[in-house]
Amino acid sequence: MDVYPQSILSVDGLSKSFRGLTALDQISLDVRRGEILGLMGPNGAGKSVFINVITGLYPADYGTVRFLGRDVTRLPSYALARLGIARTYQNIRLLRRMTVLENVLVAIKDHVNRPLRSLFIIRNRSRFVRAATTLLEQFHLADKRDWLAGSLAYGEARRLEIARALAGKPSLLFLDEPAAGMNERETEELGDTIRASRKLLEAMVIVEHDVAMMRGLADRLVVMDAGHKIAEGKPGEVLAEPNVIEAYLGTDEADE
Amino acid sequence: MIQDYIVFVGVNIVLAWSVYVILLAGSLSFANGGFMAIGAYVSGVLTVKFGFPLVIAALISGIAAGLIGVLAGFPALRTRGIYLMLVTVGIAVSVKAVIESIDYVGGIQGFGGMVGTTPWHVVGLVGLVGGGLALLSRSPLQRILDAVREDELSAASLGINPIYVKLTCFGVGAFLAAVAGSFYAHYLIHVSPDQFGIVLSVFIVLYAVLGGTNNMWGPPIGAAIMTLTPEFVRGLEAWRPTAFGVVILCLLLIRPDGLLAFRIATTRTKVVAGSKPKQST
Amino acid sequence: MLAEQIINGVVLGSMYALIAQGYTLVFGVLDKLNFAHGEIFMLGGFICVASIALGASLPIAILVTAIIAGLLGLVVEFIGFRKFQSPDAHLTAALSSFAIGLVIIDLSQKIWGAESVAVTLPGTLQTAAVSIGGLRIVVLRLAILVISLLLMLALYVVVTRSSLGRRIRAVAESPTKAALFGINVTRINQQVFFVASMMAGLAGLALALRTGYASSDVGFTFGLKALAIMAIGGMGDLRGALIGGLLIGVLEALAFHWGLGQLADVFVWLLMIVILLMRPSGLFGTLISKEVRA
Repeated sequence: MDVYPQSILSVDGLSKSFRGLTALDQISLDVRRGEILGLMGPNGAGKSVFINVITGLYPADYGTVRFLGRDVTRLPSYALARLGIARTYQNIRLLRRMTVLENVLVAIKDHVNRPLRSLFIIRNRSRFVRAATTLLEQFHLADKRDWLAGSLAYGEARRLEIARALAGKPSLLFLDEPAAGMNERETEELGDTIRASRKLLEAMVIVEHDVAMMRGLADRLVVMDAGHKIAEGKPGEVLAEPNVIEAYLGTDEADE
Repeated sequence: MIQDYIVFVGVNIVLAWSVYVILLAGSLSFANGGFMAIGAYVSGVLTVKFGFPLVIAALISGIAAGLIGVLAGFPALRTRGIYLMLVTVGIAVSVKAVIESIDYVGGIQGFGGMVGTTPWHVVGLVGLVGGGLALLSRSPLQRILDAVREDELSAASLGINPIYVKLTCFGVGAFLAAVAGSFYAHYLIHVSPDQFGIVLSVFIVLYAVLGGTNNMWGPPIGAAIMTLTPEFVRGLEAWRPTAFGVVILCLLLIRPDGLLAFRIATTRTKVVAGSKPKQST
Repeated sequence: MLAEQIINGVVLGSMYALIAQGYTLVFGVLDKLNFAHGEIFMLGGFICVASIALGASLPIAILVTAIIAGLLGLVVEFIGFRKFQSPDAHLTAALSSFAIGLVIIDLSQKIWGAESVAVTLPGTLQTAAVSIGGLRIVVLRLAILVISLLLMLALYVVVTRSSLGRRIRAVAESPTKAALFGINVTRINQQVFFVASMMAGLAGLALALRTGYASSDVGFTFGLKALAIMAIGGMGDLRGALIGGLLIGVLEALAFHWGLGQLADVFVWLLMIVILLMRPSGLFGTLISKEVRA
């Protein structure tokens, strides 16, 4: 049941173990319309597992996930994507052998939902290209649209991945450690990109290590440790809580 | 006779394409010899024992093969691609064993009486399949296949159902192989199980891969070369397996990303000067 | 006699298990399927025939077969797998090993002809039998069974208890991590190929001794079936390969006993498909997902 009426995503009692090791232990949270929710925690806290379970990569052992009121716990990745849940990956997964433009074109909802019917469409129909190019412009990648995706710089590749995730017009976007491996300048640019993308979505969930970035970006924070949720609330408050500070003590907070 | 060449090369071209279609989705099939056998036998029974016209019989046998392929392939594709490879080997071996044990179709002896294939049938088939593939390469579906082939996981995150795509390609490949097999059988008049062993399936894969898998023209070139060279290079016929095995190995070893990692036949030529397209590691 | 047939089945099964364990070793460590494996098995029979024809005694022939098969395994690893180590190269590696297998068959048919070649054994080695508990058991088959089981036991001990075994398991879990720990992954791959191929060669020798001749198509009949057995028993799991092999061996023997021999092949592959449907990791295997691996 939805705790708040503005909840887009409700997670209730989500649990997942791998070969006897508990990765997620009764995680409950909700994502509200219009917000950027930050998911933080030391290494091994289970943040990536959480995203992977929610986006259909692993099946949950227990618990439910409701998206826009609908039970989506058992759905596979592609079904979730079609319903409007998109994600990016920690180790950027782009189609490196295809061009930047093509990477975005792949994600066009019309084609993706009915692959066979798309057989009879002329492929680079100008309206699709226009829509894709507009999106790329918003991400400052339009001038590189014919470059091979594999030749982009790291920061650009991350932008492309986000752009591509947004091409399918999702409602909810999960970003898995988007700032991983970035320097300060790149991280700042990423923050700008994310802020600019807000209006294209209903809500975003960002998994990140970079405390400074999250402090400035997230509306709310959820902190995990060893599979449990240990704190939830506004960034300023949460990051001052003693058990949150303790969870991070002894952990190398530097970006991977 | 020139007729023979047209028919055999044409059949092999379609067979090579049947494997290519499956490769497009990222799977490797060693079953197409088995599907070819299904095509030959099902259509043969329909024409010889039930008087069906050839083309209808061929289509029905294609659908039968497609269904079998999808049914057998489904459990495999739910897990990993490598399981599908195993299942395809199993299909090829099983088809042959089943055919051998059914007396209705002559058991080990095989059966005959199948007539009706003219070179026009084969040319028409090649044209249709070629046209379909050309249409495919100009459609967004090509991109979807590329995405599934390159990274199933991220394709799924975009809403593409990789299992559906792979199964469909597998079914289509089975269909094509069976139709080719029907025409083949109705040209040879008589077929027997020992023509359809696992080696045949391996050869069909070699046809597809030898000419390069960059685009739809590679497989027909490979098929044509492999079918015609033994005719023109005397003595090669006896060494066909070794020669082709060695050639394939050389090709696989020389190309840095192997034959099966294909480039995408799209706007690659428009890579901006000055950028260094990083090849995949 | 049913009991005798079951024993025959166990002997047959032990040979299947030897081959299946070879597939499993390579799959477990390199995460690839080696389609040349069945052909090395096939060659085992011919090497045995050739050695005996050249005057070697049986024990020497066994040693020679084991070593040559192992060396061939190294060749296969070098040509067919060394260059294709990335996790995405399954198809390429499979295709290249198939190509190698094709070449092996063709060459062996050129050398020894396409017909089966008889094995000439000293005296009554082939048919000597003993009576145990009222059952007539051919000594040769008993020897094959015992030696096969000992070999597999030795392999199990090495893999689970020795330092080499630990290194092998480390590479099987993750080649990149193992390399970070200083393990020479290429060397491990080579050793795995050597052992697996040696076992295949010996299995081929066993088959040749048992049936009395070496033939060039056993790679496809026996060898591929062992591949299905590996999938049934669990990809990458040695116990699964052993139990699967014995199980299938006995089932096949029973099938022949009841006159259903012809469909034995189909049955094994259908069983594999059914098991994949219900329990994708095989009876004993654990599924290592593509993402988790290296």
